[in-house]
Amino acid sequence: MTAFTQTLTSLRHRPGRALLTALGTALGIGTIVALLAVSAGATQTAGKFVHLGPGEMGLFQKDASDPTTSVLPESLITTLRRQSWVASAQGLVLLIDALPKAPGAVLFGAVPNGFETGRMVFLSGRAYRAPNEMVVGTTLAQQMGVHLGQTLTVAHRRLHVVGIYHIGIAEQDQGAFIPLATAQAITGHTGEVTTIAVKVSVGMKLPAAERLLKRRFPGLTVITDPDEALRAGANGQLIQNMTLVIVVLALLIGGIGVMNTMLMSVIERRTEFALLSAVGWSGPQVATLVLTEGMALSILGAALGVVIGWLGAQLLVHALGAAAFVSPKVTAWVFGRALLIGILIGVLGGLYPAWRAAHLSPARTLAQH
Amino acid sequence: MPGASVIADGVSRCYGRSEVLHGVSFAIEPGELVALTGPSGSGKTTLLQLIGSLDRPTSGVIRVDGINVGELRRPALFRRSTIGFVFQLHYLLPALSAQQNVELPLAADHVGRRERAARARELLEEVGLGNRAAHLPAELSGGERQRVAVARALANRPRLVLADEPTGALDTAASGQVWRLLTSIRESHGTTVIIASHDVTLGEHVDRSLHLVDGRLTEPETPPRPVPGRAG
Repeated sequence: MTAFTQTLTSLRHRPGRALLTALGTALGIGTIVALLAVSAGATQTAGKFVHLGPGEMGLFQKDASDPTTSVLPESLITTLRRQSWVASAQGLVLLIDALPKAPGAVLFGAVPNGFETGRMVFLSGRAYRAPNEMVVGTTLAQQMGVHLGQTLTVAHRRLHVVGIYHIGIAEQDQGAFIPLATAQAITGHTGEVTTIAVKVSVGMKLPAAERLLKRRFPGLTVITDPDEALRAGANGQLIQNMTLVIVVLALLIGGIGVMNTMLMSVIERRTEFALLSAVGWSGPQVATLVLTEGMALSILGAALGVVIGWLGAQLLVHALGAAAFVSPKVTAWVFGRALLIGILIGVLGGLYPAWRAAHLSPARTLAQH
Repeated sequence: MPGASVIADGVSRCYGRSEVLHGVSFAIEPGELVALTGPSGSGKTTLLQLIGSLDRPTSGVIRVDGINVGELRRPALFRRSTIGFVFQLHYLLPALSAQQNVELPLAADHVGRRERAARARELLEEVGLGNRAAHLPAELSGGERQRVAVARALANRPRLVLADEPTGALDTAASGQVWRLLTSIRESHGTTVIIASHDVTLGEHVDRSLHLVDGRLTEPETPPRPVPGRAG
């Protein structure tokens, strides 16, 4: 009968309480997992708004609330093209909620034949040429049943679908491309773009180009890696900060919850611990028993929390209307952190009850019974 | 392994202003079966707890095999190696089977799983409960539970068994079984056994009696009878 098997036996003996305690921990961990999953999904998605290939950078307005609210002057593209180390630069306008029938789809305003639009493989039709033409991604076309020649209403403008493309980036295949000037007219930001994709010349290293850009244009955020894209958005930072706050709160609330349950358990079972002490269990052995029980409850809670968090993340992005362009990701790292937090909650919550159990006076406790 | 000797010298125990034991002194030889009698509140349980290192005397010294149990730095280790307790209430853990309850002292000593199980089954056979090993305490009668508690007390092969009113909560038939068991422990293992009881008529079953009233040994000790298996 080891501490572990005795813990399992003890938990099986009080299944209701064990489950409720685990559920309390699970809610805290679920919140963390949901936020981490949305945050991870948002990072990945933001990176894919501007697909960054080798030797490419994305420029955003510094301190924009999120990547889609960045505003940069189009004239910057001309300035950039003059730099010897810039092979090409292309402006993009990102539009959210512009298609009433597909509110989550992102519309990209771009010049035809730029290096972003140049990646399109047309399954039918061609690239747009006129201001009232558009091309639609394969996924969006399937979802909406769009076909060539159809007219779609984009922010009260009627545009003809002249091509169905495939790029291989989920966010772009779930969206559509329209001419840059049309997108600027829709947003009312003539002469402005959301972001600028820059391809550096052969021989120029990205970190060096990034340093040059930051020195020359201090108001820019430069992204060289899709995973860094969240940096471009203050909302992303907000999510990360919020997650940190929730982690601390979950540790406190979960820890206090586990502590409360374990203290109740220690008080109820004090004769059991006194008896163990009487038959030769040392203080550390009794404490280990209580800590193991607390940790088992928290790990069970963490496992439940991952499931609750995953469901919660799906609900959250739907509630925020962001389901089409943010896919929550429960990665191994998210799962690992949830488990780690669960163990921490168990240890923190179990420490004081374990100390109490280890310091029970067997003589007094057994005499009182 | 022979039983342990117990020597108490001027032992007192106070709780706040209340003095429960007043300068108690006695000596118990290895292998003796001794009754500690007296009315409720006379200090029997306190004295047993002091002997068993569950508590420390306020003054005076108790030595078990020459070891001052009031100054032990790791009393649990001492209890694990030397003492077996039987309480008035069995204190079996309700979630564990009879066998698992008997294994508890061995688990503290990091005895391997197979060896623990074998020892527990052997002891349950010895107390006549070999066929009840897998039963939970709730599925056993009062007498059977107390016999499991006796088996648990013997699990670590103690040299001193301390039994505090072991039959206090049992009917006559079950009491008789537990008594015979405790007596046989001394006979078969040579263990020193001290039994606390308010029943002053125990004298006929034991080697001698110590009588406590209001925390004092009130009568001269009954002269020791020859201990079985010991010469002279």
